[in-house]
Amino acid sequence: MSSDTHLHIENISKKFNTVDALRDVDLRIERGSFVCLLGPSGCGKTTLLRIIAGFETATKGRLILDGQDISQQPPHKRGFGMVFQSLALFPHMSVARNIGYGLKLRGVKGAAQRDRIEELLEVIQLPHIADRPVSALSGGQRQRVAIARALAIQPPLFLLDEPLSALDAKLRDNMQIELRQLQQKFGVTTVLVTHDQHEAMMLADELVVLKDGAVRQSAAPSQVYNQPADSFVADFLGAANLIDVGAIKGGTVDLFGTAVSTPAPHMDGDLMLAAVRAEHLVLAPAAAAGTAAPIGAVSFMRDLGPATEFVVTIQGKDLRVRRSNADAQGLDVGSQVALTFDPAQVSLFKAA
Amino acid sequence: MRVDLLPSEGGGTYRFVIILLAICGILISSLPVIVVTIMSFSAADNTGFPPEALSLRWYGEVIAMFTTEDANSAQSVVDSTLTSLLVAIVVMVISTGVCIPLAYALARGDTRIRGGMELLFTLPLVFPLVILGIAFLLIAESLRLDIGIWRIVIPHVALVLPFVLRNCLSAMSGISIEVEEAAVSLGASPLRAIWDVVIPMMKAGILAGLIFALIISFNEFTITFFMYTVDVSTLPIWMYSRTVSSLDPSTLALSVFIIVADVVLIVLVDKLIAGRASLF
Repeated sequence: MSSDTHLHIENISKKFNTVDALRDVDLRIERGSFVCLLGPSGCGKTTLLRIIAGFETATKGRLILDGQDISQQPPHKRGFGMVFQSLALFPHMSVARNIGYGLKLRGVKGAAQRDRIEELLEVIQLPHIADRPVSALSGGQRQRVAIARALAIQPPLFLLDEPLSALDAKLRDNMQIELRQLQQKFGVTTVLVTHDQHEAMMLADELVVLKDGAVRQSAAPSQVYNQPADSFVADFLGAANLIDVGAIKGGTVDLFGTAVSTPAPHMDGDLMLAAVRAEHLVLAPAAAAGTAAPIGAVSFMRDLGPATEFVVTIQGKDLRVRRSNADAQGLDVGSQVALTFDPAQVSLFKAA
Repeated sequence: MRVDLLPSEGGGTYRFVIILLAICGILISSLPVIVVTIMSFSAADNTGFPPEALSLRWYGEVIAMFTTEDANSAQSVVDSTLTSLLVAIVVMVISTGVCIPLAYALARGDTRIRGGMELLFTLPLVFPLVILGIAFLLIAESLRLDIGIWRIVIPHVALVLPFVLRNCLSAMSGISIEVEEAAVSLGASPLRAIWDVVIPMMKAGILAGLIFALIISFNEFTITFFMYTVDVSTLPIWMYSRTVSSLDPSTLALSVFIIVADVVLIVLVDKLIAGRASLF
């Protein structure tokens, strides 16, 4: 892995006055990979992206691109294509001039510039809009033009700051797929900031979860989802139920009557927190279940279309459960249900 | 169907009040222009209103003023007009040249500094113009230097700055820093980004500022009245001295020329600079 590190974010810290925006962030971004910086607002993800772009300077730490320290390089010398949250298209220029702006600055003129613009418009599937003013474009078209403008200069790094947040849900879904395809086509190393966990799961090769300026977990999306590093990550990614399970006794904790074995670093007496995802809980009408299963009552349910979401009150706790619509047959608010789960799908963390 | 907030049917009084107010406004603002225009076509020697007969004789008089040597007045109308134009253009260029970078710095900088600076530049507006005129006269006299048209240009710049600055600032407020950063991320140096992106986006505001500067300076009387000399005088001063000595309709005919010239200037500046941001 270390052999093909494209960008090494080396122990970056950033202070705004006395506030720590970033604390010792150390990340290695692989060449050609798609990295998503994910976290709630104020977690420092945008600050980190702006430091990479050169619009902020780190208080401490270095940026190493291809073995070269670029920390002191001004942003216009870095030439990383960036897509902004507001898209920041130039309103007084046509689509072609927007896309061609970076090329013009690099001295690509005339036919070469026109060809490149044509090629990019082809790639973003908008071949006939070159001469339109950007104000005449729809939201999705503006989005594509902003991406094409950034990619036109063949940037070593492609940076995106919540570029899809202004789009409606359906369009956002389509754009996510397109963005991922574009990124793979160009093979450009990409860093995207988002607070939307679905977007991050959909796009990322590597998912970096940030909280309060610190990296909580950095791994492949499936790993982050299935083996969250801590309760924050478990809670932030997908609907997880966090349950206080008390102290470890004899290498296990008790979760609704089922013994769940605790992994190595934890010891007897540690207070633990269990996380179980909504879709990992199984429901059955109480009468049909085995005797061992704990019984709860459905206190809320809603049909989401592809699935049904329940809130089950069990031993005084409200748990979110997501099942297929078939499993919801015969169940209603107030129904007694038996709850089962696979202990292997339970994540355990030391209670803070 | 959308419901009007003010009932237009049945509640006809609202509409009546609005129409009445509009008529009052239009009358008050256009009455001087209308009266002056009508009077300028008078055939009489005096300025009685309404004129008993119409003619173009005063227009002929004005043209004669400009084409023949005027031995009576110390400075000819031609010289005054040229001085006025020159002053107005210099004031326009200087005030815009100052205000574009200033507006940029204030809009991108600390908001508290911005408030203070705006207040500072608005100061000449709250000063009585007569006091301002005396103040500038005192300064000019204490300098004991022959600074030519600059003795009028400098006070005019002070007077138009708040208008130009306000226009440039409101133009800047619509330009997010992200557009600039986008240009920089594509490889433009910070100055290049301002030139390629910020200035073109400010165009409409800059244009409005230019027009304000031009017209305010060209028509300014009060401060200029303190500052003019035998050698450097402007058209409003010339017109005033003319009306004091003899109020005949030729001054009014000249006013009509000036109104037309103002409009032509506005359109010209607009066409030259605005492009897509054109007001017309």
